[in-house]
Amino acid sequence: MSSRRIAVTASRTLTIAAWIAGIAVWAALPWLLGRGSVDILVFAGLYTIAGLGVSFLLGQCGIVSLAQSVFYGIGAYSTAYGTTVLGWPIPACMLAGIVVSGLVAMLVGTPVLRLSGYFLALATLALAIMGHVLFLEWDWLTGGTLGIGGIPHLSLFGFTLNTPFRFYYFIWPCAAVVLWLHYNLLRSRTGIALRAMRDAPSAAKVAGIRVESLRVRTFILSAVLGSFAGSLFAHYVSFVSVDSFGIDRAIGFLLIAVLGGARSISGTVVGALFVTAAPNLLSRLGEIHPLLFALLLIVAVIFLPSGFGGAFADLWRRLGGSLRPTVKDGTP
Amino acid sequence: MVLSLWIQAILSGVTNGFVYGLIGLGIAVVFRGARIINAMQGDFALLGGVVAYLLVHNLGWPLPAAFLAAMLSGAVCGMLVERLLIRPTARRQGTDDSYLLVTLGGAFAVSASVLLYFGRDSYVLPGIGGDQSVDVFNAAIRVHALALIVIGTLVVIALRWFYRGTRLGQAMLAASIDPDGAQTIGINVPLVRTLTFGLGGLVGGLAGMLVTPLINLHYEMGLLLTLKGFAAAVLGGLTSPFGAVFGGLVLGLVESLAIVTVSSGYKDVIAMTILILIMIVMPQGLFGRRGRMGG
Amino acid sequence: MVRSVSKLLICTAIAAGALATAAIAQPKGEPIKIGAILSLSGPGAGLGQPERAGILLAEQAINARGGINGQPVKIIIEDDGSKPDIAKSKAERLVFDEKVVAMIGPSLTASTGAVSAITNAEGLAQITFTGLGPKIELTYKSLYHVLPPQELNARAMLEYTTKALKAKRIGVLHDTGYGQVVLNSLNALHDKYGVEFTAVEKFEVGATDVSAQAAKVRAANPEVVFVIATSPVPFRNARQVKIEQPIVSAIGSASYDYIRGIGEFADDIVFPEFVVGEDPKPEQKEFVAAFQKAYNALPKNFEAAGWDSAQILASGIAKAGGAKATPKEIAAAIRGVHQGAMAKYDFSRDDMTGIELSSYVFSKVVKGKFERLPFVAK
Repeated sequence: MSSRRIAVTASRTLTIAAWIAGIAVWAALPWLLGRGSVDILVFAGLYTIAGLGVSFLLGQCGIVSLAQSVFYGIGAYSTAYGTTVLGWPIPACMLAGIVVSGLVAMLVGTPVLRLSGYFLALATLALAIMGHVLFLEWDWLTGGTLGIGGIPHLSLFGFTLNTPFRFYYFIWPCAAVVLWLHYNLLRSRTGIALRAMRDAPSAAKVAGIRVESLRVRTFILSAVLGSFAGSLFAHYVSFVSVDSFGIDRAIGFLLIAVLGGARSISGTVVGALFVTAAPNLLSRLGEIHPLLFALLLIVAVIFLPSGFGGAFADLWRRLGGSLRPTVKDGTP
Repeated sequence: MVLSLWIQAILSGVTNGFVYGLIGLGIAVVFRGARIINAMQGDFALLGGVVAYLLVHNLGWPLPAAFLAAMLSGAVCGMLVERLLIRPTARRQGTDDSYLLVTLGGAFAVSASVLLYFGRDSYVLPGIGGDQSVDVFNAAIRVHALALIVIGTLVVIALRWFYRGTRLGQAMLAASIDPDGAQTIGINVPLVRTLTFGLGGLVGGLAGMLVTPLINLHYEMGLLLTLKGFAAAVLGGLTSPFGAVFGGLVLGLVESLAIVTVSSGYKDVIAMTILILIMIVMPQGLFGRRGRMGG
Repeated sequence: MVRSVSKLLICTAIAAGALATAAIAQPKGEPIKIGAILSLSGPGAGLGQPERAGILLAEQAINARGGINGQPVKIIIEDDGSKPDIAKSKAERLVFDEKVVAMIGPSLTASTGAVSAITNAEGLAQITFTGLGPKIELTYKSLYHVLPPQELNARAMLEYTTKALKAKRIGVLHDTGYGQVVLNSLNALHDKYGVEFTAVEKFEVGATDVSAQAAKVRAANPEVVFVIATSPVPFRNARQVKIEQPIVSAIGSASYDYIRGIGEFADDIVFPEFVVGEDPKPEQKEFVAAFQKAYNALPKNFEAAGWDSAQILASGIAKAGGAKATPKEIAAAIRGVHQGAMAKYDFSRDDMTGIELSSYVFSKVVKGKFERLPFVAK
């Protein structure tokens, strides 16, 4: 009994120590790295938020979504148009983006989410294509290929978030809050309903879970995350153009979800780090870098079938497992 | 004048439709035999085109020989992809998403290699009948596009015969529907799966030879082709080669008629909306009775 | 394979050239660092790669003549993969970690937008390869363009159409990327030139067959057809559906790749551009000869723009006092008139380019080669 208690305490201590170490490293990083690298970490934070939306859909509903680029775009354009043309305050613009994204997700999601499997994947791809075309066509709103520049930086407590260094300390707490909310949602009744719907859809229906409406609500939530990340992106870069919201961006978000491991929250962070940092680091190796990125992607998918998140969970379990017997041996 | 415009739209739609269909065909072949969406199908076409270009321009091979070599190299690539990408993923219990991503990685790799070793230029591959075109009521279609349509149709017929009338074709179906059962009746399932990808690559290489004279070889063409081909294959129910070509035709015609009746700017919006509507109204796809097996 | 071998040969040739000249005038000391962000992979590689060829050649030429005030110059070239957010990260790295004194590039409008927000905040000189972008760029006083604003490209096309061809009814076939931008400028100018666009049809980048759009343009009976795209497909389709009217294109399609891709249908297409390597203007001869010697090929506009960007920066840095100069002093020193290989620039103008219509050269394709036309815009 007592040995088990010690093991539990030890494991808890280990967890707390890991958290403290993690936060210390996080806080120290911008002081140690160059500005270019901090910038990459900022993008990783932005993509964590948007990628979490995709990962949530994939992990909890089994929906492969390629439409996240659309909501990311809606968020970015709302804040770009709202601040530079309409002169609205920044929070109002971000909220407008979130509302518009939510509405679009509801209107489009209601019919489309009845589909399943590859049909649904294709439908979300179709949405991404339509979104990209409309961003281009409505150039009175989006500036088309020229884009919109001069978007104001965010300001917080008198600090203008105009450098990667400052934005880093803003974006990651944002991402952490979003991750924490997500974690709580999964442990709530809705989370249980989601899991029931994913693992036993017919049983869930019998149990009175309104599967269709739950799927639509999840889609809306995912869209809201995409829009929020898009708005922050616009304020950070202070320039948006249609090139940032194409199919390649949608594929990038899906990569984050799958590489991270759709059912793992921490995995999303690592997935986002991979997608932002790998191309940047590899490009220092010269012209072969797109090929190396492709090969790295292949290797990661083959060797980590449940994503980075799954691999971490495995490692953690093994670490905890190796800890327990030693403690037991110490207390006869 | 108006009539010729409509005819031109239809000819253009059919040409594009067969292009989408030929890529979709390969996706359907692989899905039928392995239950995997192959995101590299457009890149098989790119590779086939590159091989043919090198043989014709650098070694002076005649077109038909290059044609055959492109198909064979496509087949070899397909088999390599199965051995090097698909099989290791399967061994580690990959999910549907892993297969999609691993082939997507393969597609990135092909495109990046072509840019690296072949360059950014767009290369011209001579078409069947050169650059000549045929007049239909004052509208034009290239001889090569006609050849593409005829060969595409022949491939559909040949595949139908292959699945119905040959032992290998039936073994492919058996191995995908019930792998364990197939193993017990003596089918070498791993080999058959490798051959399935080989067949997909063969069709891809053929598509490359037929498509590149229309659009020129370019390192980025693979993924663009795959996207439209995927739409064609899903419309057709994913498992049926005939359905894939039909799905491609629907897509191509909707696009070109949208250009004539509405506007070229909203062409994709209209085509994609109709695509989604078709999927909602006909959840089995246009042709696959068991089209939702993907889901 | 063939390509990588030829690339290797080029590199060796450049290296050998650099070694040979090093013996003559050897620049000494710490190199002066200039950053360059180009699209070397992704959809923009067709722009970034020729630009790099011009930049490398200029770097070699500058160091061969003794560098900047006796100090060597080093141009650090980074690839943004045609993505604006990667361009931003690279710019942060080059400006703040590498501490470059000025920036070259990027190749694409979106990347320029992302990078110029950084250089503008620092007052660092940036010479970009995109025409004037969103309006905000007019307030960026250290962002210079070595390519003309699309409005000027549009004017050059209309000058030729209305003055040389004496035509008023124009059909347009364009793609949704580059073509869209030029079209927007064309739309703003049609009153001024008294022309009418009888049909405007577009297609997505990478389209396989655009005959339907081309037929719609033909059905509107224009006197001249503008084809504005970064792919050979629309040119071929236009001729295949028997558009026999003169075709005028834009500078973005004026490259040997496209001409080769269009094949025999390329004959008689007219390009308003800047560099006709087969028949260069006197001020372009030095550059064309040097390029031909190094790469065994004729340069076009983007190669020349790459060469000009590095040369202008080098002269600006020298004028500002060489290695001692601050980035702001360099940016100020560049603001003036430069006779480049591609065009004559005046960076003190409001549009940060100062390219005049008179710098344009009009060319026609004859059997895979560009032929300079006698027409000159006023």
